[in-house]
Amino acid sequence: MDRSIKVGIIGDYNPELSYHKATNEALEHAAKALSVTVDFQWLPTQSLENPSELKNLERFHALWCSPGSPYKSMDGALLGVRFAREAGRPFIGT
Amino acid sequence: MLGIRDAEHEESSPGASTLFISRLTCSLVGKTQQIKVAPDSVAYRAYGNQEVMEQFFCNYGLNPLFRDKVNKGKLNITGRDPEGEVRIVELSDHPFYVATLFLPQVASRPESPHPLIVAYLKGARAFQSGRGD
Repeated sequence: MDRSIKVGIIGDYNPELSYHKATNEALEHAAKALSVTVDFQWLPTQSLENPSELKNLERFHALWCSPGSPYKSMDGALLGVRFAREAGRPFIGT
Repeated sequence: MLGIRDAEHEESSPGASTLFISRLTCSLVGKTQQIKVAPDSVAYRAYGNQEVMEQFFCNYGLNPLFRDKVNKGKLNITGRDPEGEVRIVELSDHPFYVATLFLPQVASRPESPHPLIVAYLKGARAFQSGRGD
């Protein structure tokens, strides 16, 4: 069984932004310290406007709201943040 | 959540009437600042310290007009700069819900992972085992 911890990152990934890359690396560093594996996935903000994509957030064990505003969809980002609050998912917004 | 229905962000809606998030009087891009962490907070339990240094890359923050409103609700201000400006907020009725104006991830290194992110991932692990995944 896949025991990795699944983290959804709400944000529009841009490899040219050093802090986006740093977000991925920081998760890897923390996972190594805890001797766990982390499986993270970036979630484009526009996709979260789609109700089925939003429902799909159920698969994650935690959500992270990435820096990098303005988001392509502020509504999508806020829907993701609200999901984390209402569904009791550990959440960090940086 | 706080009963502010038309809350807006100055960057995406500069003409809105209720600017919950507004432009900082002084940009924090590229700055490192000391933050005082409230005891008895998730952040304090992660850091184990009431004074930390963190790096910022932002131009926007909580509009000071809403500071009291935030601190009276379920969202608690748990980190402030030396002038009292809001730097960390947490939701009290949630297992781990922390928002920071700084970027902890940029200070993380393989040999010294950031304590807040380690605490966050521990929360994720607890959720995972709680669900039986």
